[in-house]
Amino acid sequence: MVALEAVSKSYGPVKAVDGISLQVARGEIFGLIGPNGAGKTTTLRLMGGIILPDSGRIFIDGIPLITHPVAAKKLIGFIPDRPYLYEKLTGWEFLQFIADVYRLNRPQAMKRAEFWLEMFGLDGRQHDLVESYSHGMKQRLAITAALLHDPPLIIVDEPMVGLDPAGAKLVRDLLRKQAKDGKTIFLSTHTLSLAEELCNRIGIINHGKLMATGTMEELRQLVQAGEGHLEDVFFKLTTEEMV
Amino acid sequence: MTVSLPFWRIRLQSLKNERFSREKTNRYTRYVFWGTIGLCFWAFVFFLFYRVLNYFRQVEILGDILAMKLLYMIIVTCFGILILSNLIIMLSKLYLARDLNLVFSLPLSGREIFVTRFWETVVDASWMVLLFGFPIFLSYGIVYKSHFDFYLLSLAAMGILCVIASGISAVLTLLAGAILPAGRLRAGLSLVTVLAVVAVVVAVRLLRPEQLVNPDRFMSVAYYLSSLKVSSSPLLPTTWAYDAIRLALRGGNLLNIVHNLALSITGAATLVYLGAWLADKYLRRGFSRAEMVKRKVTKREKAWGEKRWPFIAPDTQAFFMKEFKTFLRDQSQWPQLVLVLVLIGIYLYNFSVLPLDKTPIKTVYLQNVFSFLNIGLAAFVLTAIAARFVYPALSLEGKAFWIVLSAPTERKRFIRIKFFFYLLPLLLLSEMLIVSSNLLLGVDPLMMFISVGSMLFLVPMITALALSFGALYPAFHHENPVESVTSFGGILYMIVSSMLVVFIIALEAGPVYHLCMASIRRESLSLLQILWAAFTFSFVGFLCLGTVVLSLQKGERHLKFLD
Repeated sequence: MVALEAVSKSYGPVKAVDGISLQVARGEIFGLIGPNGAGKTTTLRLMGGIILPDSGRIFIDGIPLITHPVAAKKLIGFIPDRPYLYEKLTGWEFLQFIADVYRLNRPQAMKRAEFWLEMFGLDGRQHDLVESYSHGMKQRLAITAALLHDPPLIIVDEPMVGLDPAGAKLVRDLLRKQAKDGKTIFLSTHTLSLAEELCNRIGIINHGKLMATGTMEELRQLVQAGEGHLEDVFFKLTTEEMV
Repeated sequence: MTVSLPFWRIRLQSLKNERFSREKTNRYTRYVFWGTIGLCFWAFVFFLFYRVLNYFRQVEILGDILAMKLLYMIIVTCFGILILSNLIIMLSKLYLARDLNLVFSLPLSGREIFVTRFWETVVDASWMVLLFGFPIFLSYGIVYKSHFDFYLLSLAAMGILCVIASGISAVLTLLAGAILPAGRLRAGLSLVTVLAVVAVVVAVRLLRPEQLVNPDRFMSVAYYLSSLKVSSSPLLPTTWAYDAIRLALRGGNLLNIVHNLALSITGAATLVYLGAWLADKYLRRGFSRAEMVKRKVTKREKAWGEKRWPFIAPDTQAFFMKEFKTFLRDQSQWPQLVLVLVLIGIYLYNFSVLPLDKTPIKTVYLQNVFSFLNIGLAAFVLTAIAARFVYPALSLEGKAFWIVLSAPTERKRFIRIKFFFYLLPLLLLSEMLIVSSNLLLGVDPLMMFISVGSMLFLVPMITALALSFGALYPAFHHENPVESVTSFGGILYMIVSSMLVVFIIALEAGPVYHLCMASIRRESLSLLQILWAAFTFSFVGFLCLGTVVLSLQKGERHLKFLD
């Protein structure tokens, strides 16, 4: 579903992403973990078509994202870590806007929107301006907008940031359900327990380089961590690199 | 005062840290650019005043009176500008700035926060007035052969005047914070600021300076002289500053100079003390009240965008509707609209009072000349309006720009949607402006046609340029992207746009002259004149459309590589 081929991105002298290559299969939940400033968000923004790589290629379901961005982006639902939305629109208007931008059938899309709004506890507030929403509510609205066109690939940057425990559980269950339905989930997180619990495969990134990828079992074997948790694997890989 | 020191240290540290900025080359280019513009302007002001004052010196009795009248007008104008810039900056510093949540969480009293913010405002609002006021005082000093103490005393008088202006603005802002209804404070204060600007502009216009060149209006020389004499209240800070500077200029009694400076200092100290007292009482309350209250969306608003037109692509409609709703619901845009409307009113009023019948030149020629020059003037007005509304249009997407970038909409399509969204109202506005002023001038249909036609080509060019420069110099992370109009990119846009307008007007001048003369004399044009006109208008058409296409392409390309 997703393929990255030697993707690199620099900001001035800082190499944020350094020759990353990886593939994620349909129906898989892939988690990208790494310390602060490792290049997680940049990788996700590259995959979402928000920024262009300096070199390398990205394919979404076989469609080259750089040369065919419109076709590729129709397959993606992007959820950023900080939900900056159009503050002067109401939640409902924002979802109408998303439906139109993705050229969806408006009545059908808004019916789906009603379902998601109710699920995320935003029904009753949909006609309030976004500027009056709390951080968590904005995050829920951003997730609703990303799911509106029923994308086969969902890219989530730090899915639990700003969500209360109930919201976090809701999102966790939702991501599992989406994967079960054959959707691909690509997420980045700092919460190692979440990655361990949710992801089929995990990639560990540091200084823009992909240090390791694999299932929990494969990662444990790689660092000879025995029955250790992801935390042990993570620290072993990232600390050794730093040394 | 000591509480301010850490804040000043942060500002200095930020300035020093600029050397680590990623945009090193860009920064140096900006320094050179601004430095050159500043120096040119500085030199221009100096030579202008030097010449004018030298000319005045040659006129006995009246010359000195005129020079002093000019000095007083400069001080009053500076004071007006200072009050306005202080109001704008004080509003931001006390109620709107991003770091206020941090500042109010610190163990500082309202008075301490005020003192810190007050001195920052004094510096931010005054440095430009002092810097560009200096060549004026330098020219006065040289022409009147003053001693060095004149410059020191002028600097002291103007410096204290700056503090007084900040003090008045602080007291007004704090009182407004205590009085205005909660949730409406930001919009209310913005409106007050704009109304103050409007009041100053209207007051200056109502002085009707054009009457000074009409000698019939004055019954006698004595009446004319008395109208020039400076007579102002001794209670005004501008009078204290004026008297101190005037006396220093002419080597007056030192005691009188000190008396006026002492009046200024005590006035400034009183205002700062009053501000600190008000801040202790109202600043924290005002800051809490400045938070916006939840605004309810009306039924009519809910209906907007429910219907879709079948002949326009849904994503185009979505972006149009988003722009429309955002613009209408953003209360900070309204006062600016009021300002634009007032300026347009004054623009048209100027045409209605033009004394065309009192000149020795035939009215019909003047009508055509004014009408033709009016094309350029309207284009300049439009450039200024586009700089305020179109140039920051992309930056106003702010941190929500990821929505556009992740959407399945080509970036070139997005920029074109923005272009048409602003083109339509600007075209309507400029055509209304040009038709109304032509009607007031009473021009013939030919000139009306040329004016309307020229604007049809100029407006898209000006709009596309504004959008393109906005894309080249985006300010997505700026606290208030609208302010980016005074940045390097904004000024560069205005310069480029104005130069293109001047170039086009210069190109059209010859053919338009021949066309008008032929029409007035009821003669036909020669073949050469016809060819010249055809070539010129075609070239102007291509130039404008070419600029539109190139500007949008450049903007699109820049958006594509935006990180």
